[in-house]
Amino acid sequence: MLVNQFLLLGAFLFCTGVYGVLARRNAVMVLMSIELMLNAVNINLLTFGYLHNAVSGQVFALFIIAVAAAEVAVGLAIILLIYRNRASINVDELDLMRG
Amino acid sequence: MEATGSNAWLISLAVFLPLLGALVMMAIPKEEEDLHKLIALASSLAALIAGVFILARFDYDNAGTLQFVVDKSWIDVINSRYIIALDGLSLPMFMLSLVVVPLCIIYSWDHIPEPGNAKAFLILLLVLATGMNGTFVAHDLILFFVFFEVVLLPMYFLIGVWGGPERKYASLKFFLFTLFGSALMILSFLALFFLSDVQTFDMRILPEAAAGIHSTTAIWIFGGMFMGFGIKVPMFPFHTWLPDAHTQAPTVGSVILAAVLLKLGTYGFIRIAIPILPEAAAEWAPWIGLLAVIGIIYGALGCLAQTDMKRLIAFSSVAHMGYVMLGISTLTDFGMNAAVFGMVAHGLITGMLFFIAGSVKERYHTLEISRLGGLLVSAPRLGWILGFASMASLGLPGLAGFWGEFPAILAAYQPADGLPVETFRTYMVIAALGTVLAAGYLLWMYQRTSFGEPSEEWADTEIDDVGTFEWIAWTPFLLAIVVFGVYPNLLFSVTDDAVVNIADIVAKSTGG
Amino acid sequence: MFAQLTQFESPPVDFFSLTPLFILVGGAVVIMLVTSLSPRPIPGWFSTAVSVAASAGAAVVAMVLWNDVRESGPYSTVSDAIGIDGFSLFFTVLVSLGVIATALVGDAYVRREHIAAPEFHALLLTAATGAIVMASANDLVVMFIGLESLSIGLYILAAMQFRRPHGREAAMKYFVLGAFSSAFLLYGIALVYGTTGSTSLIVIRERTSSLGAMVSPSELLIVGIALLLVGFAFKVAAAPFHFWAPDVYEGSGSPVSGFMASVAKAAAFAGLLRVVVVALGANEGDWAVPLAVLSAISIIVGAVMAITQNDVKRMLAFSSVGHAGYILVGVQAATAEGMSSALFYLFAYTFMVIGSFAVVSVIGWDNGHPIERYEGLAKRRPWLAGAFTVFLLAQAGVPMTAGFVAKFLVIKSAVAEEIYWLAILAMVASVITAFMYLRIVMAMWARDADVDDAPRLAVAPATAFVVAAAVAITLVYGIIPDSLIEFTRDAVPALVAGN
Repeated sequence: MLVNQFLLLGAFLFCTGVYGVLARRNAVMVLMSIELMLNAVNINLLTFGYLHNAVSGQVFALFIIAVAAAEVAVGLAIILLIYRNRASINVDELDLMRG
Repeated sequence: MEATGSNAWLISLAVFLPLLGALVMMAIPKEEEDLHKLIALASSLAALIAGVFILARFDYDNAGTLQFVVDKSWIDVINSRYIIALDGLSLPMFMLSLVVVPLCIIYSWDHIPEPGNAKAFLILLLVLATGMNGTFVAHDLILFFVFFEVVLLPMYFLIGVWGGPERKYASLKFFLFTLFGSALMILSFLALFFLSDVQTFDMRILPEAAAGIHSTTAIWIFGGMFMGFGIKVPMFPFHTWLPDAHTQAPTVGSVILAAVLLKLGTYGFIRIAIPILPEAAAEWAPWIGLLAVIGIIYGALGCLAQTDMKRLIAFSSVAHMGYVMLGISTLTDFGMNAAVFGMVAHGLITGMLFFIAGSVKERYHTLEISRLGGLLVSAPRLGWILGFASMASLGLPGLAGFWGEFPAILAAYQPADGLPVETFRTYMVIAALGTVLAAGYLLWMYQRTSFGEPSEEWADTEIDDVGTFEWIAWTPFLLAIVVFGVYPNLLFSVTDDAVVNIADIVAKSTGG
Repeated sequence: MFAQLTQFESPPVDFFSLTPLFILVGGAVVIMLVTSLSPRPIPGWFSTAVSVAASAGAAVVAMVLWNDVRESGPYSTVSDAIGIDGFSLFFTVLVSLGVIATALVGDAYVRREHIAAPEFHALLLTAATGAIVMASANDLVVMFIGLESLSIGLYILAAMQFRRPHGREAAMKYFVLGAFSSAFLLYGIALVYGTTGSTSLIVIRERTSSLGAMVSPSELLIVGIALLLVGFAFKVAAAPFHFWAPDVYEGSGSPVSGFMASVAKAAAFAGLLRVVVVALGANEGDWAVPLAVLSAISIIVGAVMAITQNDVKRMLAFSSVGHAGYILVGVQAATAEGMSSALFYLFAYTFMVIGSFAVVSVIGWDNGHPIERYEGLAKRRPWLAGAFTVFLLAQAGVPMTAGFVAKFLVIKSAVAEEIYWLAILAMVASVITAFMYLRIVMAMWARDADVDDAPRLAVAPATAFVVAAAVAITLVYGIIPDSLIEFTRDAVPALVAGN
């Protein structure tokens, strides 16, 4: 199987996700970029699982999918909270505190 | 060598009694001011009485060996032990610290500075006392460091809360300067611990155990300690915290600062830095001597530029500590004896001068020299005492100050083997010039403040002369200045054995 | 390849060893069930009481287990996924104490700020469970699950202050950066898994330490380690990955900030120590220097940024970055002594910081926490000011406090490894940070502050208890640190297989 290609795909998706988190202004898009990063990890895990002929990679991926769902739920709730208060989900407007 | 049984704990008693007093006072509401003063005085006097017992039981024939040794486990996991002991070198400093605190408490009886709160003020004084007493008797580096640092906080609060208008700046500067030095010092201690033959913080073993440290490394380690102790002394160019701290501190704070705190640094040099790393000390000595004479001249010139009496005395401290450091930098028994004497003398005399400055400030609400005058007319006793203390400070023979300065200068004529003689003789000449300057600024100050008629500003004001509490607090200082001045051997005979031991260590390492 | 699935047998589970986890989760379940099923409103103290009782129970069981481990040695359970060793039990105790303190401080806080008490305490308990799982994990999957339970709990806890714009903003920032850093960590985990072929830390250690079986390609392992470091650096708030910390600490409720700065940081350090320092110990050459650099940057950033702040909570946040740097000094030494010094530091810091944030929560929010609001605190509440002074001085590393011993031990471990530059840097920076702590102290004890018309500060008994206990711990372990040092020495992670 094309192990290297899958790993490269994973790396590419991960980088896209990182770029998305850093560059996107819309909070939902930021959330989706994070999902992209997590799924890039999943691809990696599956590939490595196949490489080592072990099931643990797939098990790990399942865990990540489940946890990511919980994380998204919380994330969307927080975004909703902000949207309700200011009718905008532009992350650049979150500038009360300058970190 | 080990003192027997109960005697050994006398030192710990003297160290921790003030702390005990402070703990008791914490439980008492602050409205009970008189009770607080009583407890504070009682606990510091109790410590002094323990000190008198030590004085009585001290074996003066063996002043060079440690006595009243207590060696108990403390923080085993880092090899730090509770080692407390005294020898002829510690004894005078220890007693000085024990005497000064109760006198300061007596002085504070009706002089609690703004904004009052006798409880907190006295508790801090007592904690300070524990820290100072402990530093002079600790023989474990970590224990020493802890006591050394414990001193810092109460003094910080004394200046920061009860100080003059610039107190915030002054207290912060004091704290940060000293902390910086301590930070490097503790690193040096750790390096010593790991690099010496036996992993120990025991100051009794370290001089031998550290002998194997590579000389370049030793110079760095000494450098760390130099920062720690040198800032505390303070040596030029680290002295800048001192005038600010002195000027802003409440009277009692200034007195303790001058009388005891500055000595923690010089004591550290003689007790720790030099015996443990004698070779590095010899490398550093010419530079220490140089900074010392710069300090002497700079302090003296600084004095001439001051318009504030307290600030002037503070600068004179820089100069006086310069003599002490010059004595130490010769690395000879003669020089170090002079240094120890200078430490005690400076403690008594400058402490006294700060007391007077505090009382003048209280009466005139200013210390501007140009606004004062005619002290001898309006408050003759205060004026005479100021005159006496100034004479002692400029090193008049027959008073204590002379025996600190003169032998230190003399010692620079013949420094320890291996030190550059020419350089030290140059230092000697410069230091001697410094005494002339000292006479100049002290007489100038005395003349401006005390001679003549009181200025118009104060012509109609009734100036009280020395009060009861002032008399009680000051008499021991005045007596001691005379006694040590007339009979210096009283002190030299105690310190000599211990100092000779240290000078021998140096001679052995540089000679062989 | 899926043959093993058909023969699946559930692994033997030593339930007693997992009791602390069950107790904590059980507490959370009880709180949620009782308060939602009860026909009458349940008073707020009920949730507090359950959380305190559950954490106390967990701590007690951990101490019992600790005795077993000391007698019969560390072991693993659930098919080697959970390790029961001094390390995990140390963190169980630490986290439980942290929860007790936070719950008690939170009690008055949730009432004052009208935050739902049952949710607050239930989330606290689940987050704490996650923290303990992280510290006990012998498997990367378990570690990840622990991390996420901790993080998700904290995201919601941060969002509980949602009535203030600052609170909402903090929650959003914390969530985005938390998830972002989790992804980095996961990517690192995936690469480590890929190169070693196992998610079990025990196996990873075996395979990386025996050079012969060293997996190819090792470059991937290095990248994996680097990503792990980035992920953990985010979690412990080490510079330059700290930028979320000040905003999040500032915007979240003070008890929550205290919890993040203590328990969450401790859990992240536990993960770092277990995964990087122990399991990947053979690759010390790959991570020791980067950790030392992270440590140095954190110390510098923490010191320099802290002194420029004017908001007490932000000062504490930056100082927390600095403290992460100091703990890293012990971690990067990569010796048993270094690790135990890091553990001591974490323990001491937990109480200093929870105590500090407890005081901050008493002072309360009024358009931030400007330092001016602390002026004259000594006149209004002398004991509170005194306690805060102790916490601040302890953080500055003044002797006679646990903070000094902690700094001393980490510096000692660096000097022992002859990493002098870091030791000197750390000590010099500690002087700079002292300036910031002293500014707060000075403000509190300012004698000319006008406090006559200031509102009276209400200090709830539970909060007062926490503050007093934290002061006591800080001072006691500052003067006689022996017992705690020995505890931390026995608490170095073991990573052993089987029962």
